[in-house]
Amino acid sequence: MKLVQRSILAVERERLWDFLMDVPRVARCIPGVEAIEPAGENRYRGVLNVQIGPVRLALGGTVTLEEQDRNGWQAALRAEADDRGAGGGIRARMTARLAPAPTGIELVVETDLAVLGKIGEFGQPLIKKKADGLMQAFAVNVRAALGRAPSSRE
Amino acid sequence: MTLRIRLSVNGSAREVLIPSSRRLIDFLRDDLGLTGTKEGCGVGVCGACTVLLDGRMISSCLALAAFADGAEVTTVEGLADDERLHPVQQAFIEYGGAQCGICTPGQVVAAKALLDEVPNPTEGEIREWMLGNLCRCTGYYKIIESIQKAAGHARL
Amino acid sequence: MHAFDYTAPESLASALAELEEAGDEGKVIAGGTALMILMMQRLVRPTRLISLRRLPGLGRIEVVDGGVRIGALATHRDVETSPLIRSRIPVLAETLSRVATLRIRNVATIGGCLAHADPNQDPPVTLLALDARVRIAGRQGERQVALDEFFVDYYQTALRPGEVVVAVDVAFPAPGNASAFHKFLPRTADDYATVAVAATVTLTPEGVCREARIGLGALGPTPLRARDAEAIVIGERLSDRLLAAASEAAIRVVDPIADPRGSAEYKRQMAGVFVRRALRGAWDRASREAA
Repeated sequence: MKLVQRSILAVERERLWDFLMDVPRVARCIPGVEAIEPAGENRYRGVLNVQIGPVRLALGGTVTLEEQDRNGWQAALRAEADDRGAGGGIRARMTARLAPAPTGIELVVETDLAVLGKIGEFGQPLIKKKADGLMQAFAVNVRAALGRAPSSRE
Repeated sequence: MTLRIRLSVNGSAREVLIPSSRRLIDFLRDDLGLTGTKEGCGVGVCGACTVLLDGRMISSCLALAAFADGAEVTTVEGLADDERLHPVQQAFIEYGGAQCGICTPGQVVAAKALLDEVPNPTEGEIREWMLGNLCRCTGYYKIIESIQKAAGHARL
Repeated sequence: MHAFDYTAPESLASALAELEEAGDEGKVIAGGTALMILMMQRLVRPTRLISLRRLPGLGRIEVVDGGVRIGALATHRDVETSPLIRSRIPVLAETLSRVATLRIRNVATIGGCLAHADPNQDPPVTLLALDARVRIAGRQGERQVALDEFFVDYYQTALRPGEVVVAVDVAFPAPGNASAFHKFLPRTADDYATVAVAATVTLTPEGVCREARIGLGALGPTPLRARDAEAIVIGERLSDRLLAAASEAAIRVVDPIADPRGSAEYKRQMAGVFVRRALRGAWDRASREAA
């Protein structure tokens, strides 16, 4: 399943980039992420709690920053997480690109997502919807976080 | 958690202790040894696990054994009267309603429930009633024919 | 399946008390056809199950001020075969007779169907067109919610923690009113619909539409009302142009997802086709009523 999410953030590209490469900080902008901690170079361990109706998943696993191209303004990461109870999980490769837009910087996140086991049977479409919702909330939270933090120009 | 339930299975009263998460099908097959009831799909679609709960046919794979507390359960083992088969069972044998047999207990129990409610069903009524009992061998013609014949016998 | 505590309280008050006490860990079960599958797949793992099956009188189907009250524990089969429903609200009996298989309909309850809030289910579609109201009980007492406001999102309803559905109320149709339910089943007769549409219209003796409601199923995160399409047909007489305009308006409110029953675009197109069919079906019946 391929997902594309776009959001425009009114900040300088450099600042957004530096922020996005700070994985624990970024993770705090994703609703449901708990206890993210370093687990090696460019690697983090954490848990994402997701609720869809009566289904509550605790996806525990790792996020690995695989590519950081500051010149091309593009980064890639791999996420692997499982819900032990349900017997299933997700495997995702995400690419984030920062492109100039008339009102700020457009953050384009492309995700190639595989949903495994019972979770996948329950509903790929629900996962997609959830991912869209998470991404929207993420953009709002990033805006808030960058708004609060002092800008490098100030 | 352990539950004490009282129920009747094929006419004999029982009082048993079961884990509260026990499914009705597992209770029947594993605890009581009534292995005539089969598990096919496990999600209520195929009909192999059909049993009667207070005369109504249900999927025993989607029911907790706790649901049978105070109720009467009829499985395929409860259809024959001593040595005499139920007319539906007899007709399935005579008219080739069974082949590999995995779906047959469910088919027979569903057909019995039909004839209990509609003693002389039309072919359309049989097809509609039986649409949730899947068969992958004989095809459905022989099953429908067997039920029609059983209805004829039951009337005699 | 995982281990859980199971109780079957014998009064609504004790069921509500137990539910409150169980909090997040508790889950209500009635027929169980939906919840059992989610539990077997280990997607839902409540540590306490509170069964409503022993609550007295909650399965009654009875006449109350100008309509019928269907108790939450009435099974689909109870409603489908109820002489009262068959004679007074036939479209509801017709809709329920086409849900899944008899084995499921013998067990699945109306209250459970609403609380499960799967947008692919049939009964909510017709109940929306019939402008049904949901009766909800909690420790604070009973409240009523229009079905239209009951569904919030995929598998999410307006039920607050500790509340249960106790009944659904449906008014008897007015003179000159008729309804139709159409669903598209390209795979098997017991499958979820690719799209499902229910329409109800009330005609004046001259054949002009006074009132119309359209319910849509499997076409968004919740069962939907096609309000713009309803507004288009009210005040009008039946014509192909009218049906085309209404179906275009209905297509604009749907947000289907691609699944093995069809692509999103295909479902959008089918929504238009089935809105036309359901409206025409309801209209034809209503004309015969009026004649």
